[in-house]
Amino acid sequence: MIPLQAEALDISFKLLPAIIVFLMMASFLVIGYVFKVADTEGMWVAGRGIGNIENGMAIGANWMSAASYLGLAGLVALAGFYGLAFIVGWTTGYFVLLIFLAAQMRRFGKYTAPDFVGDRFNSPTARALAAFTTLLIAYVYSVGQARGMGLVGQYVFGLDIVPMIVVMMTITVGYLALSGMLGATKNMAVQYVILIVAFLAGVYVVGFTGGYSTVLPQLEYGALIEELGRQFSAPFLGANTYYVWVATAFSLIFGTCGLPHVLVRFYTVQNERTARWSCVWGLFFILLLYWAAPAMAAFGVDLYAQVNGISPAAVFSGEQAMSGAEGDVIVVLAAQFATLPRWFVGLVAAGAMAAAIATTAGLFITASSAVAHDIYTELVNPEATQRQQVLIGRATIVGIGALVTVTAFNPPALIGELVAYAFSLAGTVLFPMFFLGLWWENTNRQGALAGMSVGLLLWIGSVVNSVLPNYVGALATIAGDGGALIPVYAQYVPPIGAALVGTPLVFLVTIAVSIVTPEPPMETKKMVRQCHSPEPMGQQQTAADVVSDSNAPADD
Amino acid sequence: MYDNILIPTDGSKAAENAVDQAIDVAAKYGATVHALYVVDVDATSYSLGTEQVDRIRQGNLDEMTEVKEHADEATGYVATVAAAHGVDVEEHVRAGEPARAIRKFVEENDIDLVVMGSHGRSGLKRVILGSVTEKVLRRTRLPVLVVDVRGESAVEE
Repeated sequence: MIPLQAEALDISFKLLPAIIVFLMMASFLVIGYVFKVADTEGMWVAGRGIGNIENGMAIGANWMSAASYLGLAGLVALAGFYGLAFIVGWTTGYFVLLIFLAAQMRRFGKYTAPDFVGDRFNSPTARALAAFTTLLIAYVYSVGQARGMGLVGQYVFGLDIVPMIVVMMTITVGYLALSGMLGATKNMAVQYVILIVAFLAGVYVVGFTGGYSTVLPQLEYGALIEELGRQFSAPFLGANTYYVWVATAFSLIFGTCGLPHVLVRFYTVQNERTARWSCVWGLFFILLLYWAAPAMAAFGVDLYAQVNGISPAAVFSGEQAMSGAEGDVIVVLAAQFATLPRWFVGLVAAGAMAAAIATTAGLFITASSAVAHDIYTELVNPEATQRQQVLIGRATIVGIGALVTVTAFNPPALIGELVAYAFSLAGTVLFPMFFLGLWWENTNRQGALAGMSVGLLLWIGSVVNSVLPNYVGALATIAGDGGALIPVYAQYVPPIGAALVGTPLVFLVTIAVSIVTPEPPMETKKMVRQCHSPEPMGQQQTAADVVSDSNAPADD
Repeated sequence: MYDNILIPTDGSKAAENAVDQAIDVAAKYGATVHALYVVDVDATSYSLGTEQVDRIRQGNLDEMTEVKEHADEATGYVATVAAAHGVDVEEHVRAGEPARAIRKFVEENDIDLVVMGSHGRSGLKRVILGSVTEKVLRRTRLPVLVVDVRGESAVEE
């Protein structure tokens, strides 16, 4: 079990950092409020689209969670070379998005990920499966954020972790309520600026004062690798085999493309061109942090060894090894170990909070639309009025907020692992549906349902096989020493890399079933063709419009 | 006495309930009926996601087929009833926070009577959902005719 508290972290109330965090939160509220009361009635002015850069920043902030800001460096610090699979996976996914999905999604013109799946495959069941998956991903992912906010909050306010999680989650839900959903989205560009400035300042200052680096810490940390011991210089040791590395990177790449809260940002931009360019800008803004994360990890590990008077190798194993919770806050720890002024460490901590809040807001918004739109309005009560949707949406946010808070108290180990598993879930279940749905017009309902079911079963099977024995006594007995019910399955379909086997399998099943069952209706095929037509689409059109226009009888 | 009568509608039963009364008044005075549907930005951001609000802001309602369908259906109901009684009718769609949008519409269109339905929510439901009708009542100086959805019985039991 990973201990809850990061022992090395200086937990006490600190005035200056507290003021920094307070001012930051206050500015989010002000920005949110300004957008909430901004004149929305006279908004029939065409052409005021969101620009590439603003959308790119929002993509960055929405994407970079506590896991990216804190966890990525932590992962590299603890797992060495294996951690690089996360950096590769979490960025390459945007290439796949750029080339295969972003502009085409924009042309299809639906509102949410389950909306796309439901309408493309003409199936309420497919919509329900997608909505359920969306909700599951939002939930496990938010728990990681809550934990990150709790850990960093401890450094600033000095409370225990449980009250700290309650306080931070209450603030987040309250922030969503006060600034409004729209304000929360508009805040993302601001949150991006705060988090990237805080992170890069942290890396540069720690690197400079520690004598590690000068102008390019992103490269200069390489000089440390020899000293840092085997986890950095000799990869693929122990359980982290070459296969697991590839499987993990694969899952993360295609999982990223299947994540609903990532995709949603491409549905609305003005046109396909903006969709493409905001994807490029988004990737660039993400890379600014990801290039620097391994450097921060290397500095952190070296400083940890110095402060504790141990050799760098002892950081990874033995009695004085770094704990999981300490790895999680390595970014803040590194700044603390480098004996930088408190306000500066506070700034780095505030950046982590900005990252966590932006992502949590994005996830909660996606969760509320999965429930209020895809489940309630589309499946339960098609006659729902706007007021009822507001009620359901708000109830979802409060509900998921409470659930996340309670879950974050206790079993962070299982949930922490599940966050990474959410990517293999998205990669096996959702990505093939988006890809085939957009690129092969003969994909039909039966194929999609068969594919999604196989993907879901494979993923659940993998989690039950490899993860549950660690938590359920009866299963542990059956599993024995190997720690898995079926060792071969665990070796080739590890939960974190399930997509390497799962995604191709789901592709095959979907294609095979689609071939042997009747082709989808002509109208659906035309919608798919429309997504790839070289003809630029008008700003106010969707694929469905174009298709229905061409089918309309010539009566005018 | 009345030339322009406004019927704000969200397509709910409560709103449709008010239509008959409004058309009746309009027929008596030869007034024009304005059916107004407000795309609630709050509802859009909770149910379709905030990105869709940006779409509406850009004026791209036409590409949001479901939202537009719902709006057309709601105002279309008013138009059908009005046509059946030979009353002139105009259909409008606006976006924003409903009570504010209605008030603004009233100012811009020389409305002299508002007829709207009420769900008669009370207690917790009212706190969470609020009453658009109540806000309109408070914020305009016009006569407002409120038709309670629960209908006939004159007093609350």
